Amino acid sequence: MTDEKPADAGAHHRARRGPPPPPPRRGFDWRTAAMPTAIASLSVIVVFGFMAWAVTSAEQWPRIKLQFFNLDAMIAAFPRVLQGFWVNMQVWLTVLACILIWALVLAVVRSLRAPWFAPFRLMVVIYIDIFRGVPVLLLVLLFGFGIPALNLAGLPNSGLFWGSVAMVLSYAAYVAEIYRSGIDAVHEGQRAAAKSLGLSEWQTLRYAILPQALRNVVPALMNIVVALQKDVALLSVIGVRDAVREAQIYTASTFNYSSLIVAAGLFLLATIPMARLADYLTRRDRERRLQLAG
Amino acid sequence: MIHCMIDAMRRTALASVAGAMVAALPLAATAQEKTPMDPRLTTPGVLTVGTGDPVYPPWMLNNDPAGGEGFENGLVYALAEEMGFSRDQVVWIGQTFDQAIAPGAKPYDFAIQQISVTEPRKQIVSFSQVYFQPDKAIIALPGTDAETAASFEDLKALRWGAVIGTTDNDYLVNILGISDAAIYNEQVDVFQALQAGQIDATLASLPTALYMTAVQVPEAGIVALLPADENDNGHGLLFEFESPLVPWVDEALSAIIERGVVDELIDTYLVANPDLAIISE
Repeated sequence: MTDEKPADAGAHHRARRGPPPPPPRRGFDWRTAAMPTAIASLSVIVVFGFMAWAVTSAEQWPRIKLQFFNLDAMIAAFPRVLQGFWVNMQVWLTVLACILIWALVLAVVRSLRAPWFAPFRLMVVIYIDIFRGVPVLLLVLLFGFGIPALNLAGLPNSGLFWGSVAMVLSYAAYVAEIYRSGIDAVHEGQRAAAKSLGLSEWQTLRYAILPQALRNVVPALMNIVVALQKDVALLSVIGVRDAVREAQIYTASTFNYSSLIVAAGLFLLATIPMARLADYLTRRDRERRLQLAG
Repeated sequence: MIHCMIDAMRRTALASVAGAMVAALPLAATAQEKTPMDPRLTTPGVLTVGTGDPVYPPWMLNNDPAGGEGFENGLVYALAEEMGFSRDQVVWIGQTFDQAIAPGAKPYDFAIQQISVTEPRKQIVSFSQVYFQPDKAIIALPGTDAETAASFEDLKALRWGAVIGTTDNDYLVNILGISDAAIYNEQVDVFQALQAGQIDATLASLPTALYMTAVQVPEAGIVALLPADENDNGHGLLFEFESPLVPWVDEALSAIIERGVVDELIDTYLVANPDLAIISE
């Protein structure tokens, strides 16, 4: 830079020979730094303040506050709702594990290419069509009330068990399709390469395709995991006392809805960290891949 | 603290609004009070009554509130007559239980839906005086442990089911100390669970129980009666919170209770089978 000093500038300072002075050090300018923060805070205060004012100045606000945001009622309802939430968590984790395994079986069967697997592929296609097409709530009702009424020997007749089975069957249909999208996204060359190494179809799937496919679909799976956590509440219709049902019981008995707010808060506490985890996994995966590509 | 302040402010505001309204109203309006043209009614000129949809015997027969047959609609027509309304001036509005307890303005003057009066509920809605206190009955299938239960201890060992929105679950918790009953959305779900062997017994008010065991699930029976829960005051009419109509309706209700109209309706529609065992401890 110093070599290319502009000619006219050079003309002005011809008398003072020597290197030009270093550029003035830029100090930390509080005003420049604080301005955006100040504007952002002000705008947050104005917008949220206006919203709070609009809500609390509504004529019915005192009643709504009493019925929905009553701290005493929340405290009274909390232990039972928390106990129900514990049921949610247990069902969620158990059902999730079953879904991930069962869906993988479905997806693998569907992606097998040998011609003699045709009937099994067809069965999986029909399975997915049926269970993805029927609302989960209906399945929960049909399984939770219908199958136990058959009094099948050797099978449990608890609503919790059959409701969970319905959840697994339904969600597995979705997850199988997610897996399949991951399998399809693995480049055809990978299959060809594995084949050329002498791997059988099963080995190709096991060592070449699935490890890549599963990594592809982690972000999409996280989405399902979060959705499943909330849908466990559907089991309340067959008498399972989960967080939502416990909250409803309190509401029905006292006509006070604050317990529902408690349940909503618990669900948020569980799902928000999971959403952040999903973001983190997605970002890490992306960075890894970009490194590989580079 | 803040809550108290807001409450106080609200009261002052309400008082001033009420004051302004009284000052502004001509005398003619007050003269119309407690007549069918009362301006405080949801629709002046008619008595608008909320109830369940569908409605069940013996509370209302034939799923037809306007038919007038049944305990609750019989009561409402007697009440309407006492208040000066003709039969045609009673309008029915169907609603679910959730709608009945939802906050905000209600589209009717009062609702009748076997709603039990309890202290916590009184802070959200207003009630008339109690007009009926049903007994609780245990319903179970024959040949189960429930049939041979003779004490609260025996009852505690059973698996219970109940319908949400009823005070049946409160009864199980408060009187029998059972806190893990399965709670269903509808009565029919409870019976489905009963028949599937998911629960052993359920609880219902005696008139409902008599109807269920006679018509809906004939294979089930009433096993025993239970003592009353003192926290459950019995059935009352439900009003919007602090409805100005409560004193007027209460007055009319007292009058028809005194004349024996309610007892007569109970005898006609809600007669209990007195030959049932009672488990009281």
